[in-house]
Amino acid sequence: MLEGHISRAFDGALASFHIRVVEMGGLVLDQVREAAAAYTEWVVAPAQHVLEREAEVNEYNSRLNDEQLLLIARRQPVAGDLRAIIAITNVVAELERAGDEAKKIARTVIAQGSRPGPATSRDVRHLGSLAVTLLRTALESFDRLDVALAAEVIAQDKELDEEYAAGLRRLMTRAMEDPRQVSVALEAAFALKSLERIGDHARNLARHVQSIGGDHHVLPETAMTPSGTSNRA
Amino acid sequence: MSTSNESIQERKTVDAVSASEDPSRKRPVEAGLNLKPSGRVQAPISLDHKTGDRTVGQFTVDDAVFACRDVNVFYGSKHALRNVNIDVARKQVLAMIGPSGCGKSTFLRCLNRMNDTVPGARVTGTIKLDGTDIQGADQDVVRLRARVGMVFQKPNPFPKSIYDNVAYGPRIHGITRSRADLDEIVCTSLQRAGLWDEVKDRLTKPGTGLSGGQQQRLCIARAIAISPEVILMDEPCSALDPIATARVEDLIEVLRESYAIVIVTHSMQQAARVSQRTAYFHMGELIEVGETDRVFTNPRHRLTEDYITGRFG
Repeated sequence: MLEGHISRAFDGALASFHIRVVEMGGLVLDQVREAAAAYTEWVVAPAQHVLEREAEVNEYNSRLNDEQLLLIARRQPVAGDLRAIIAITNVVAELERAGDEAKKIARTVIAQGSRPGPATSRDVRHLGSLAVTLLRTALESFDRLDVALAAEVIAQDKELDEEYAAGLRRLMTRAMEDPRQVSVALEAAFALKSLERIGDHARNLARHVQSIGGDHHVLPETAMTPSGTSNRA
Repeated sequence: MSTSNESIQERKTVDAVSASEDPSRKRPVEAGLNLKPSGRVQAPISLDHKTGDRTVGQFTVDDAVFACRDVNVFYGSKHALRNVNIDVARKQVLAMIGPSGCGKSTFLRCLNRMNDTVPGARVTGTIKLDGTDIQGADQDVVRLRARVGMVFQKPNPFPKSIYDNVAYGPRIHGITRSRADLDEIVCTSLQRAGLWDEVKDRLTKPGTGLSGGQQQRLCIARAIAISPEVILMDEPCSALDPIATARVEDLIEVLRESYAIVIVTHSMQQAARVSQRTAYFHMGELIEVGETDRVFTNPRHRLTEDYITGRFG
């Protein structure tokens, strides 16, 4: 989908653009995983690490945006190439936002307000693992430009949304049972919301994969036979 | 052509039925043509892009100046163009793109019967200009070429003065009665071609003394001096630098307010910049035709995609 140009240099430039975005995706995935773990274990060090690496995520974001501009300026892509370059840049934006959500979770941990109880930790751990799985699958579909896998991500995001709603209800119940838990519940609700947003970014990423990878053509090349080929000048 | 006309009618009926089933359609579009009796007939893919013989996209338009149906061109035994069906719309630019030898220039030359001058060339099918087939033996070719002007790849001003280059057409076609009329036509044509300010003080100087870009605009002035309905352009900018190219492209944008323009170009970017519709030819067949905005963002045929993204060959 990204290769096969007569200009192999263009193939190379597109491939390297794609690979660098996959790399950025790996970093963001790690950020999400680490932030969720820092929250459930309530330890500052990994959260601190997430904050430090956020600069790297931003660096990827700005460099890849520059790279997109250069590709457009130098290659003047059209059709599938243009859609792919725009979609890949949109993937970069989704990843950057997912990274921001990880940063928000990390900040909550660093502030060390009220420590969440075991039930809340369990909810966050559960939603965190769903969000990580979703983002990982979305990245795999992006890496391989696998449209079918992208469709699975989009379907699975609904499950994450439902888990988020259920988690929120449990938080509210606990807060109502014990009003001292209100501030914990509030912070935990923000963490859950961030994880739910990460799931949304994974879903959007999968949609961009669909726009790159799908076959948008109505007729296969074989429709050109037989007279077209027999008369080649 | 009676057989193909019948099949056009048949397809129209079928299409009207299927179109009426889809509430999203505003009007039933004219049917795609399936001129082959069997075997190679393609089922309609969906309602808004028809298959002609093989053509993907909407090849008919509402306000057609040219309606070409089942056009075939043979150069001796070589079948250069196969079953081309396409309309040319008034006040629009139609760009024809495709690799060398794909038939786009051959098709362009059908529109003012330039193929008549090629020994052994044979053109079949109907090419209607305002409803009249230009292929008829009784058609006056000189009159046709006055209605369908042409601009070539290499600027070819006559070895005469700038004034006479533009005045030549109106003179031989007897369009003007007086010198004052002629002056008027020369002046307006040069103005419309965006050349007036550059040449108004040297109208008696030879046209060949102008720069390449100016010569090309002079040829365009010469073409519009006889008030054609259609202007054909065969790679009009391939010999020009980017600035002269931009001037000609800007001129095309202005001219399309008055004329239908058909342009053959090897520059995809040029096709994307100047045209409203784009037709992609490949090995003598019209593969895809559609709105330029769509063809360059979302071509429907794999071959079109491969060509415009540089994957062809």
